[in-house]
Amino acid sequence: MDSQAKRVETISARLDAAGSSTDSVEDELELSAVRHRPEGLEQLEALTRFNRKELQILYRGFKNECPSGVVNEDTFKDIYSQFFPQGDASKYAHFLFNAFDTNKDGSVSFEDFVMGLSILLRGSVQEKLNWAFNLYDINKDGYITKEEMLDIMKAIYDMMGKCTYPLVKDDTPRQHVELFFQKMDKNKDGVVTIDEFIDCCQNDENIMRSMQLFENVI
Amino acid sequence: MAAGVAAWLPFARAAAIGWMPVATRPMPVPPREKKKSQDQGLLVLNVSGQKFQTWSNTLERYPDTLLGSTERDFFFHEETNEYFFDRDPDIFRHILNFYRTGKLHYPRQECIAAYDEELSFFGIIPEIIGDCCYEEYKDRRRENQERLQDDEDDEKEDVAPLNMTFREYMWRAFENPHTSTTALVLYYVTGFFIAISVMANVVETVPCGTLPNRAKEISCGDRYALAFFCLDTACVMIFTVEYLLRLIAAPSRYNFMKSVMSIIDVVAIMPYYIGLVMTDNDQVSGAFVTLRVFRVFRIFKFSRHSAGLRILGYTLKSCASELGFLLFSLTMAIIIFATVMFYAEKGSTSSKFTSIPAAFWYTIVTMTTLGYGDMVPKTIVGKIFGSICSLSGVLVIALPVPVIVSNFSRIYHQSQRAEKRRAQKKTRIAKIRASKSRGTNAYMHYKQYNGHFLTHSSLEEACKEAGQLLVGKPNIPFESHHHHLLHCLEKTTNHEFIDEQTFETNCMEVTMVNKSGSRTSSMSGSSSPHGLSSCCSRRHRRKSFSLPNSNNQELSTIQIRERPIVNSRSSLNAKPDFETVPLKSGHSYVTSSVVTLPPAASSLLTSSDNGGSSSSTCNYSQSNIVRVSAL
Repeated sequence: MDSQAKRVETISARLDAAGSSTDSVEDELELSAVRHRPEGLEQLEALTRFNRKELQILYRGFKNECPSGVVNEDTFKDIYSQFFPQGDASKYAHFLFNAFDTNKDGSVSFEDFVMGLSILLRGSVQEKLNWAFNLYDINKDGYITKEEMLDIMKAIYDMMGKCTYPLVKDDTPRQHVELFFQKMDKNKDGVVTIDEFIDCCQNDENIMRSMQLFENVI
Repeated sequence: MAAGVAAWLPFARAAAIGWMPVATRPMPVPPREKKKSQDQGLLVLNVSGQKFQTWSNTLERYPDTLLGSTERDFFFHEETNEYFFDRDPDIFRHILNFYRTGKLHYPRQECIAAYDEELSFFGIIPEIIGDCCYEEYKDRRRENQERLQDDEDDEKEDVAPLNMTFREYMWRAFENPHTSTTALVLYYVTGFFIAISVMANVVETVPCGTLPNRAKEISCGDRYALAFFCLDTACVMIFTVEYLLRLIAAPSRYNFMKSVMSIIDVVAIMPYYIGLVMTDNDQVSGAFVTLRVFRVFRIFKFSRHSAGLRILGYTLKSCASELGFLLFSLTMAIIIFATVMFYAEKGSTSSKFTSIPAAFWYTIVTMTTLGYGDMVPKTIVGKIFGSICSLSGVLVIALPVPVIVSNFSRIYHQSQRAEKRRAQKKTRIAKIRASKSRGTNAYMHYKQYNGHFLTHSSLEEACKEAGQLLVGKPNIPFESHHHHLLHCLEKTTNHEFIDEQTFETNCMEVTMVNKSGSRTSSMSGSSSPHGLSSCCSRRHRRKSFSLPNSNNQELSTIQIRERPIVNSRSSLNAKPDFETVPLKSGHSYVTSSVVTLPPAASSLLTSSDNGGSSSSTCNYSQSNIVRVSAL
């Protein structure tokens, strides 16, 4: 579906076709602008759980920040970092980017963006938990290992920055990961599977309540 | 927090779901959405009759400017249901574009003063001007300021201050000849005598006919030795008196003696005195004759009278390195050709090319196309190389000289501009960071002044009881959502954001008193927000007593982290290669453009009912004083 909708124009390709043999790097860099136009409004309405107005608002904001229609990882990191001025949000932004970039092509188009948001804001609890599991499972093998969780935890703590109270010590993320695994890893095999994860979260009242928190974001 | 990422806040909030399964503590309640009718509507901005329309969200991207804050409500015109501004519509176009694109441009055809006025009216700091236009803006501004400064100086010169000491009066007369008639007279007299002295030096070498008992012609100087001596003496006396008067009148004698003009003065009159001292000694009379050469330096005294000479001298001084390079390349060419010519002409008899240094003279004369003809090559090989030499002379000297001159002037200005830009960048970034820091500090304010546990409704009630305006609450929905997001992060990680000042305090206290660490950790474990807020306040109190003077010193630098540059917000992001920028004082972030959380917030606390932490409220005002961003 993405490939049908995507019309990537690289003007450098046109130049090559025109037969210019000069290999100037500048031309290529300047002119290979990737542009992306999203699916029509009706199709997106059908795919996501947003209505027209909401999609309009989302697209306007998206297009304003990324006039070319796609977000690459650096832009993404930059935008996300603006919300957390005290710390370093780039690592968590990297994981988020991978979670949004479902087709792994290195850029997040508006469809990816809006489908991710649709799950997060309008999805069922099951879908949200699924999404969270996908975020934590860095190599997408269906298991969350302690190392993966440690990476994620460090990324989250990095967002706090250094001016925190109490001070974030070096093993604070590790301790947090231990807590997490104690809670989630039912069969104590060192990894958390999707079923364990969903089961455990559904039984935890705090988590269930906080999942409902962002319903009214748009 | 500036920047146009307001549109992405919903995304950031949605992404916070990723923290939920990890969090161990319950999340805070999100702020209540107050559905205003204007939330996603078009606003009409009528600027002197020209109507602009935009989404209200666009304007709210920059909440610290006039249009983005509630300050625009003052301009709302009920009858026509639009916002009316009685300002210049042409410049307003650029200001509105800033909201739309995040980049502020400076139109070259606008007057810099008018543009500045509009910017300050709409509360936008000029440092946000994009890189494409910033240089032009700064240049124009500097020119304008110089012009104003010149005007001021001229005025000051014309208007003599009333109580001038005689010394100041003399100095002013010397430096600015047109201020009074005496000064003008002095100016012309010294100029006249300089001319006389120089002419005398010239004329005394002219041959003046022969003496009756000698065959050789003698110069006028020897013939009328006494007359010339008297003239020289008179001139030197006048120059000496002038120099001494200047020395007395100078505001800073040391600086005056170091200056170029005074050195020229000294060099001009010294030969005379040295000559007086050493007349009868034959051995040094040769040196004495050489010293007379220095009398020609008197002509440089004219540079006080001519601004053009001064500018020329300054230009030469500033192009010294470029001229040196030109000289070096010429020297290389000369050596090459002299060597070639010497070896080419070695064979020929009675050749003038006796050595390579002797050939230098030929090379220089040929390359500069002078061609005196006192040295000419005789062999064929010599002639061939001679012609190559003269052709290359044309190329080597005639062509690059204009190119080099213009190139170097361009390079010189460019390097000056690069230095300027570097110096400007630091202050720019500091100012932008300072105004951005309001975002983080706004969150700190919000946390401390409103407490974590109160919902907005109860806070409103409390404030209504107190009869105060709810000033501390961020009344822009974007900010309140952003604060909620940061609050969620705190809950997820079980740590709190604090500002740098408190952090420094904590660091110092941790090293001083170890047991406070255990106490605070036990406090943070408790779910009672009372404990937290009172603990924080206790920190503030301790800080205010034990560290009265170290506030400004500790917070004298802010760190700027490296970040990749994004096109859409390049003007607001830090450039990658800066480390620290000194901030003069904690107040620097409060710029004219910022609609700040006013200190009246502290008055809110004195009567707020924050659930019993009233004992600590009085100290918040002290902690309000110095806030530096921890960015």
